[in-house]
Amino acid sequence: MDFYLGLAQIIGVHTLLGLSAYCVLLTGQVSLAQAGFFAIGAYVAGMLTVLAQWPLIPALLVAAIVAGAIACAVGFPALRVKGLMLVVATTAFGEAVRLFFFNFNYQLERGELRIGPHGGEGFRQIRYFPENGWSTFDVVVFIWIVVALTMAALWWMDRSRAGAVLRAVGEDELAAQSSGLNLTAVKVSAMTVGGVIAGIGGGIFAHYTTHIEHVQFGVVLATFAIAYPILGGLSNVFGTLIAVVFIQGLLIEGLRFMGDWRNLLFGGLILLAMNLRPRGLLDAPALAELKRRLVRRKDRARA
Amino acid sequence: MDYLDFIDAVQALADGVLFGATYALLGIGFTLIFGVMHKINLSYAAASIGAAYASLLILGNVKAPPPLVFALAALAGGFIGAGVYLLCFKFIPLANPLATLMSTVGMLLLIDEIVVHVTDGVPLSYPALFSDVIIRTGAFNLRGDLMFVFALGCVCMVVLLALLYRTRLGLATRAVSQEPTAAQLCGIGLDRVNSLTFVITGVLGGIAGAMIGAAIGVLSPLLSLPLTVKGLIVTVIGGLGSIPGAIIAGLLVGGLENVFQFFRGVSERDLYIMLLLFIFLVFRPGGLFASAAGRD
Repeated sequence: MDFYLGLAQIIGVHTLLGLSAYCVLLTGQVSLAQAGFFAIGAYVAGMLTVLAQWPLIPALLVAAIVAGAIACAVGFPALRVKGLMLVVATTAFGEAVRLFFFNFNYQLERGELRIGPHGGEGFRQIRYFPENGWSTFDVVVFIWIVVALTMAALWWMDRSRAGAVLRAVGEDELAAQSSGLNLTAVKVSAMTVGGVIAGIGGGIFAHYTTHIEHVQFGVVLATFAIAYPILGGLSNVFGTLIAVVFIQGLLIEGLRFMGDWRNLLFGGLILLAMNLRPRGLLDAPALAELKRRLVRRKDRARA
Repeated sequence: MDYLDFIDAVQALADGVLFGATYALLGIGFTLIFGVMHKINLSYAAASIGAAYASLLILGNVKAPPPLVFALAALAGGFIGAGVYLLCFKFIPLANPLATLMSTVGMLLLIDEIVVHVTDGVPLSYPALFSDVIIRTGAFNLRGDLMFVFALGCVCMVVLLALLYRTRLGLATRAVSQEPTAAQLCGIGLDRVNSLTFVITGVLGGIAGAMIGAAIGVLSPLLSLPLTVKGLIVTVIGGLGSIPGAIIAGLLVGGLENVFQFFRGVSERDLYIMLLLFIFLVFRPGGLFASAAGRD
């Protein structure tokens, strides 16, 4: 049972990470900086609960604000460029954040222990959950409440004017600009929202793993972050969730019985999925088909 | 800083510039594919390392002379390049940049895992040429193997430039990169040019992989991600689609990297390269040599 609870935690946190990339992808920009924001959220939240002894929720909020502010600050210079340049700029930013934490040392004496981030060894003993008597199940419930709130907020945003603006920029920048949209403002706000979500995700991640170190936040995590929304499809938030379940649940955990061959299949299946469904697993036609079937069933039930 | 430190710093710079030739080749590969297809091929560095591995594995336990190993790496690189085009680009609509980005990521993971699977993740030693030759010029030593790597890189670049600017294939490639639709109307087969570009960059990548193996002495699948990042940085600093830019940026990044490593240690080295990239993005987003419209 504990195994499935652990898996549920991983899926929840990775969904947050995927959703943060989803916001930026809606504007047509590919950002590989999400792992960097995730790392910032993880370290800030961890330091607040461990070193400053804050409760979890305020620590998460501060982590979200810090990550969002940094995302906003990075957005201005980075979003002057697009396409490949942005991919490289954001990759470099993510790596710079990782290398910063690799060299980051800030430890306090507490009793016999020295606590806090310690360079390459990472940040141990983030023991907020066990110290305050949260069981694994409580943590899972907490994570999924956050995920559900985030997904609901993004769903609502998609329905509102903001979502239309983001998608307009993503579909055709020139047309969006001609109809009076401020491209930089739109992209930077998408980046900021993405940073906030990644910050919350990172904060939660730090607390359930209890030990974070710089290698966890490398390019691989950043590619996973954009892989979820791209594989799942950008037509709505559930695409990302489906892709996270597909990758983390099915490809990583479900194929464990294949041993060594699992890793080989992993890349191959991503290739296959992209060749068969270039617009994602849950793309617009699939969504329309789904809706049609649901409506038909409702009609039949009525008749 | 006293005199000895100065000499060491210059020595570090020289070694770095020589090693930078490999970055330059990787940068050329990224830039060429971007120039022709306006697509990113993230699997390129992994494919290069994969080609170098393939050259070792094809030979098996046979003790072959290093030039043969390098030639095999180039050949394998060409085949892998064709495979990458077939699997990641041919059947995916080009109007959808995200899909090809993701498929090349899948390819990167696949190549890495094939390498790990075949070699059990154990690094393999790679043959080098002239590793016992050391040229002394005054206070400085130039390592023979690095000199060879640098010279090989220069030859590749000259051959590539000749290919692009002196042959019909090069003309077709440049035409497609400027205006694909018009090129197609003139009777140039897009599919053929695109796949040939992948083969050519694959051969270059195979040579780059072999050079990296020869310069470092070992091959490890752990090399592919850092090399991808470095190759992309070189591409952007040089200016997208600009081959001379990629060459100069490759040498620049290689040299500065070694200097930073000399002064600040290996753990902070890459941090300064990222800062360099950001300086370029803010003050010169088009890179060293890009045309004014090359900001996409």
